[in-house]
Amino acid sequence: MTGNGNDTTGERLNLRSRMFELTHLHPWIERLALRHRIPANTQFAMNLCLEEAISNIIRHGYSGDPDHSIVIWFTSPREDYFVFVVEDEAPPFNPVELPELPPLNSLEELAIGGQGVRLLRRFADALEYQATPTGNRLSIGFTVTGSAIAKN
Amino acid sequence: MPISTEELEGGITKVILEGRMDIEGAAAVDMRMNVIAGTKKAVIVDLQKVSFLGSMGLRALVAPARAIKGRGGKIVIFGPNELVEKVLKTSGVDTMIPIHHELQNAIAALQ
Repeated sequence: MTGNGNDTTGERLNLRSRMFELTHLHPWIERLALRHRIPANTQFAMNLCLEEAISNIIRHGYSGDPDHSIVIWFTSPREDYFVFVVEDEAPPFNPVELPELPPLNSLEELAIGGQGVRLLRRFADALEYQATPTGNRLSIGFTVTGSAIAKN
Repeated sequence: MPISTEELEGGITKVILEGRMDIEGAAAVDMRMNVIAGTKKAVIVDLQKVSFLGSMGLRALVAPARAIKGRGGKIVIFGPNELVEKVLKTSGVDTMIPIHHELQNAIAALQ
């Protein structure tokens, strides 16, 4: 459980469904990190997981159509816990239950995109999916202590 | 994202990447990496100064690695930080492009 329920009160970033919009993530996370004293390792995991989640939505959820929106909410339910809620209006897609591809094991396998779910699961501390009436809501949680980064 | 190269003895090329290998960083180095992949046969990718690696950055490493190996060449990664290494290992890229933390070992792996 990410522990945020449907709480989407917090800081928000609106993106269009274009890959270059991903460049807005890093400066936004840096600002949040400064404000909420988020350690560098946790910032790394946040950047990685949001890049994965959002690029999946753009490429697969919206099939590359550039005129849709993606909204990301940031909340900090407690001092050492941070949650990003990513909402889209794409067809239902649940990365939490998606089977993981095996790790790459030869140069013939170039399905790097398929490794995104694996990275998301290894670097996030909590993932929670909800289908919404208009699309999808993915909550990605990070703890500072006992972080997934330290565990693996 | 800065990218530079250094020619070492034995026909080895060291490619030095610096900064964030996110979508922007990957786009910035893609063309240069492809040129290197098409012309060099023994390549060390120096990641000591790479602070972030996402899946876009992984693509920028894997595609050239495939090209180099396809031409009978060799490629290794040198000096990633702990988190960058975790991304490489989680995705399995380390099984395709070996990781070394000592330059001498990286050079030896190419000979």
